[in-house]
Amino acid sequence: MKATRRWFLGAVGKGSVALAFVVQLAAAARAFLPNVLYEPLKRFKLKQPDQYPQGYTFDADHRLFVVRDQERFHVISAVCTHLGCTVQWREDEFACPCHGSRFRSDGAVTGGPAPRPLPWYEVSLSPDGFLEVDSAEQVEQGFSFTPPKGKA
Amino acid sequence: MTARERAGALWRRLSWTWNPASERESGDAIVRNLWLHWFPAKIARASASWNYSLWLGVASVILFLILNVTGLLLMFFYVPSTERAYGSMKDLDYAVTLGWLLRNQHRWAAHAMVAVVFLHMARVFFTGAYRGQRAWNWLVGLALLLATLLASFTGYLLPWDQLAFWAVTVGTNIAREAPLIGGWIRFVLLGGSEIGQNALLRFYVLHVFFLPAIMWILFAYHMWRVRRDGGLAAVEPIRLARAVQPKAVPATKSYSLFGLTRGTSVVVRSSTELEEKDEVFSSPNLTRRLVLVFLIVFNVTLLWSLLAGAPLEEAANPAVTPNPAKAPWYFLWLQELVASTTIPIGGIRISGGLIGGIVVPGILLSVAAIWPWLDRSPADSEGVWFPPRRRRQNLTFTLIFAVIIALILIDVFLRGPYWHLYWPGTAWPTMPRSL
Repeated sequence: MKATRRWFLGAVGKGSVALAFVVQLAAAARAFLPNVLYEPLKRFKLKQPDQYPQGYTFDADHRLFVVRDQERFHVISAVCTHLGCTVQWREDEFACPCHGSRFRSDGAVTGGPAPRPLPWYEVSLSPDGFLEVDSAEQVEQGFSFTPPKGKA
Repeated sequence: MTARERAGALWRRLSWTWNPASERESGDAIVRNLWLHWFPAKIARASASWNYSLWLGVASVILFLILNVTGLLLMFFYVPSTERAYGSMKDLDYAVTLGWLLRNQHRWAAHAMVAVVFLHMARVFFTGAYRGQRAWNWLVGLALLLATLLASFTGYLLPWDQLAFWAVTVGTNIAREAPLIGGWIRFVLLGGSEIGQNALLRFYVLHVFFLPAIMWILFAYHMWRVRRDGGLAAVEPIRLARAVQPKAVPATKSYSLFGLTRGTSVVVRSSTELEEKDEVFSSPNLTRRLVLVFLIVFNVTLLWSLLAGAPLEEAANPAVTPNPAKAPWYFLWLQELVASTTIPIGGIRISGGLIGGIVVPGILLSVAAIWPWLDRSPADSEGVWFPPRRRRQNLTFTLIFAVIIALILIDVFLRGPYWHLYWPGTAWPTMPRSL
């Protein structure tokens, strides 16, 4: 191809039309990445500490377990780390109905296909006296939170 | 003209295509009919045989047609909203006259289509019908198989029952396991980070428009390739017996998709190499059989729908996963794979979601895709069932098929609550289905 001026101007003309077309396609595709998510907040309140019995309590709304040991609390996710089904508490271990993963009471994997332990979430007390969980903040196993006396 | 004569004339007009009086009428019946003109005027007797193809491809297209019609009708009664989708199912089953029949037929035809498409693939493999220039159509067929599976996956999500909800959960979490872009794929599929209205709407539009549109286009191309490649592979033994090699004919303008493709044109390959006694007129030999297969397939799905209700579980409930939670039968082998392929390497465990959900199916699909180029069997093993010189290949394919079916059977009958194995006869503990 001889690079004449006519060829160059023609290429610029056709090229810009083609480019505009591709950019419009990309612009349309961009709409499929939502800018606003109408989803539940990652940080939410549970019940007041007193309302939890000793041991493991399942919170269906937030898919997690609130674990009470005397006055200490911690929260373990009920979402299986394998493919996201809800695990169930069976006296001394968590078990998943979808693919058979099993976890120890502290969330460590003891069997099945789960690749990672169940995450623990940060727990605190809201100013008005409710347990508050931040599911965006994972904490180490062994974390515990003791609500200050008198406030709860 | 009496009413009787008029009725007779009308009947002849309608049935003419199936009952031509002369060879000329036979040819005209195909060429002059809008619905039939895409068939060749004459086809090889071997191609029309019941025993060779078992008409599985035709059966899957008829099932697809049934799915399109029943699906379009269902769209009048279905609202793709997380609040109303499940209610739409209950309305169809209890409030809409014969709505249950419509829903049953759509669901059972979908199950049948998945099965028939797999069997069609097996037939093509066992008859070695993917060799030479038919290799490309084998790839189109694989694309159609994938589209069929995606269409059925997006389809059973729409009732928004427990099966649907946990299938989206597991399915999109498998997508998340894809390296690097997995999280992004899941986000785009769901239209967010949690399963909700956006996800349902996206899968709905994929199911009712994009996937069927892609499938119709691929189907048209699949059919066009069958003719371009000289008909079914059943004619190859005849060609070979006569030592008639395909002639090198320059590309012609006709039938070459706006001149985009090169190679032999349809007319040349399909009509010049077979002798007259090898061929029959498409009308009525092909058309009659098409009608017969249509009636059989349609009535089987109808009967099935009259006898068995389409599955519907409890309304979607994110808090409770059914125990056990099982995919439809055609995905159970994948469920068994994701449940059993997590492997520890050093300190990290590589999830079965990646290995069983992406790597293994990816390898299977890739091997299937390059198989025509790995196949070194001699030319006389093309277009016949189980030729002795393809025994090893056929055994390999049978073995893979058998393993898949065995995994499905294990999961249907032996997997109980918490995915434990229960031998036949052992009672499963009853599990609560709600909190």
